[in-house]
Amino acid sequence: MNDAPRKITLGEWEQRYEELHRAGLREPAYGGRLGRHVLLDSDLRLRNLRFDNSPAALRLWNLLLTENQRLAQARAQGEKLVGTMKDLGTVPVMAYSLPGLRAFYPDGAWWTPCLMECSDGLLHQADTLGLDSSLCPVRAMAAAFQNGEHFPRPDLLVCSTGAVCDDFSAIAQRLEKMGFPIEWWEMPRRRTPEPGEAACVLPGGLSAPEVQVACVRDELERIGTLLSGLAGRPLDAVTLAAGIRQANKIRRVLAALRRTVYGSPAAPLPALEMLVAEMLAIHFCSDREEALGVLTDLLAEAESRLRRGEHVIAEEAVRVFWVNPVADLRVMNLLEDWGGRICGSDYMFTHALDLIPEDLPPPEALARTALADPMVGSALDRARRIAAECRTSRAEAVVVSRIPGASHCAWEGDIIRGVVREELGLPGIELEVPPISDSLLPTLSSRVQALLETARSRRMPADAFGRASPLSGAT
Amino acid sequence: MQVYYTSPWVPPEWIKAHGLDPRGVWFADDLGAEPHPIGAGVCAFANSVVRFAERHADSAVVFSTHCDQLRRAFDTVGGSALERRFLFNLPATWQSAAARRLFISELERLGRFLVKLGGHTPSGEALAETMNQYGSARRQLLEAATRVPASAYAEAIARFHWDGSVNLPAPGQKNDGAVAVALLGGALPRAHWHVMDLIESAGGRVVLNASEAGERSLWYATEDRPMPAADASLPPLSALPAATPEDLARVCLDNCADVFQRPNTRLYAWLKPRLRSRQVRGIVLWHYVGCDLWRTEAQPLREAFDLPVLLLEATDTASEAPRHAGRIQAFLESLRGPGA
Repeated sequence: MNDAPRKITLGEWEQRYEELHRAGLREPAYGGRLGRHVLLDSDLRLRNLRFDNSPAALRLWNLLLTENQRLAQARAQGEKLVGTMKDLGTVPVMAYSLPGLRAFYPDGAWWTPCLMECSDGLLHQADTLGLDSSLCPVRAMAAAFQNGEHFPRPDLLVCSTGAVCDDFSAIAQRLEKMGFPIEWWEMPRRRTPEPGEAACVLPGGLSAPEVQVACVRDELERIGTLLSGLAGRPLDAVTLAAGIRQANKIRRVLAALRRTVYGSPAAPLPALEMLVAEMLAIHFCSDREEALGVLTDLLAEAESRLRRGEHVIAEEAVRVFWVNPVADLRVMNLLEDWGGRICGSDYMFTHALDLIPEDLPPPEALARTALADPMVGSALDRARRIAAECRTSRAEAVVVSRIPGASHCAWEGDIIRGVVREELGLPGIELEVPPISDSLLPTLSSRVQALLETARSRRMPADAFGRASPLSGAT
Repeated sequence: MQVYYTSPWVPPEWIKAHGLDPRGVWFADDLGAEPHPIGAGVCAFANSVVRFAERHADSAVVFSTHCDQLRRAFDTVGGSALERRFLFNLPATWQSAAARRLFISELERLGRFLVKLGGHTPSGEALAETMNQYGSARRQLLEAATRVPASAYAEAIARFHWDGSVNLPAPGQKNDGAVAVALLGGALPRAHWHVMDLIESAGGRVVLNASEAGERSLWYATEDRPMPAADASLPPLSALPAATPEDLARVCLDNCADVFQRPNTRLYAWLKPRLRSRQVRGIVLWHYVGCDLWRTEAQPLREAFDLPVLLLEATDTASEAPRHAGRIQAFLESLRGPGA
């Protein structure tokens, strides 16, 4: 069996699966052939993706693509489901601290039109609900609630509001008017403490006024009371502290994985799998223990490949820092086809990657973590963190991926690219990626390739006449 | 010093009580007066407020978080305006003690900002006096809501948001044959007031101006918390002998009825009796390009009130009028029915 790391098609995975099976592959209950997700769940986009060929990646994809079954099974077993919206990484830590609760993000339905290549009809259905294409693809969530085909109806639905995207807030409000009651909790817009004002250090090196941390803490405690009621047992400090330690265990493995993959001269794992792996941080794909196992496997695979001197993306690929998740997963493949690789990312939930402080009272620690959300503060804060991470990850270019209709995208791109250019001189572009980008590939390709060429040309020292020398490839 | 505010829920009496001059930004003559380059998806109103702040470096501008576009626009203000800009964190929720505390702390922070600009911290009596003045003015304006023609009424409210005064015209003649419509939505700067003229010239009558700085912005302290919803019986103003920021926050938050609130049920509760008592036959929903908050309310409004809703999208004033005229004419024609 050829175990050399490479990206393979869904068809090639069939043969690969047979080989692994013959070689004694052991899988969790949700394991199996990737192709079944096309046949049984109409995840048609998989046919156009290319996947890492490791068993670890197989486990990752199977965990991701079986979430809805997992939720249905949990419901059948008497567990309570908590739909958490928008906060990306905070309320799930609380919910998973309590036995019998399982949290998930209905927001995740924003990828359903991509995965099902719009055969789900969710976006069309959203149109009929008054949620048209002027809004972010997360509008698919409202349609998924309505048709009940993509996830079970949660027993409790909570949503952060305040300093959130208006499009999301509007969609969630529509959802409530459709008959899905929502428990809203306030997320203030993070600001820099004034001189002399009592302040708190936040994960990620930011700070916020104590008064804002207290506001979020109070709100989270209110949500905690609701979760306690649902679980039938109190979410006390000891219980929550244990939940935070478990979440941090996952965050530590993910941090090691990101360091290993993004920091290596040649990438041992592809961008697409890394994007999915990062997503596990926010709600553990509805299974905290399995999420930890999946990430541990991926880390082991990456380390093993590096030890063997193997990689999936060669060293000469341009190191790209990617901002915002893509609505079409295929674009992550294409970036690599076009000569780039991901060396760092801000997929809008860097606060879910940072460790939650374990030396603070648990609600306080979670409140501080929630306030470190890159989307609730100034775009300048976010841009500065991106610039700092570009520096440490030796990024050569930045792509700010716009999400169609998302209100934050209208303003932040210029600020982020401006700060990165000013501090590091890096070239950057903005790119709008719809759920199915096939018809835009010529445009996307030419824009990305122009960026990569620009970045490559910066590697080469100029001669006396200011011309780039093709002989030097030094970084 | 002039302090421009961008949401009616940033109480102008707080600015006034600090000895500075509050000005509703919607009614500045040069707001959006000249076209500015604008990025994809950017709200023209938020963009014009940024340019306004940069142009008026001798004044202060209080942005607000009630809309994501304005919140993010604040991040882009540059030049010498940096020192004189402020972002007021308006809570989207209103049910919790945390939201109330957040609002109070923002009032206090705004107070410190105003003092830095040269204002002074008001005494309890001074704050109460200013609240009473503003409350009285709002009550007078509310009483006139159904008597004064739409354009004149908009002018009166604009005047109030400009200098706190009330200058009501004589009641206009009612055109009973006109179709009663409500004008609902976000910011409606003076430059876009042609919308009201277009409605009138197409045979309609704006009987409820529920745009951002319209009738919805007229709240005051009463014995009841919040103010009763009914149109007919305006409760007396509760004149306060002394007031604290907590009092101001309570009155403001208790009466806030806006689309950004979560849930935004109070907006619907505010609209319902007014739409009914004024026999509104259609709603003109005014919103800017990129304003998700208002745009997505079109269908819920139709469903809640069983009324037709016309979406009118603000772009730039020069090109929108002919387009709006056609849409408004067709809307009113459809409301009148054949032979009307």
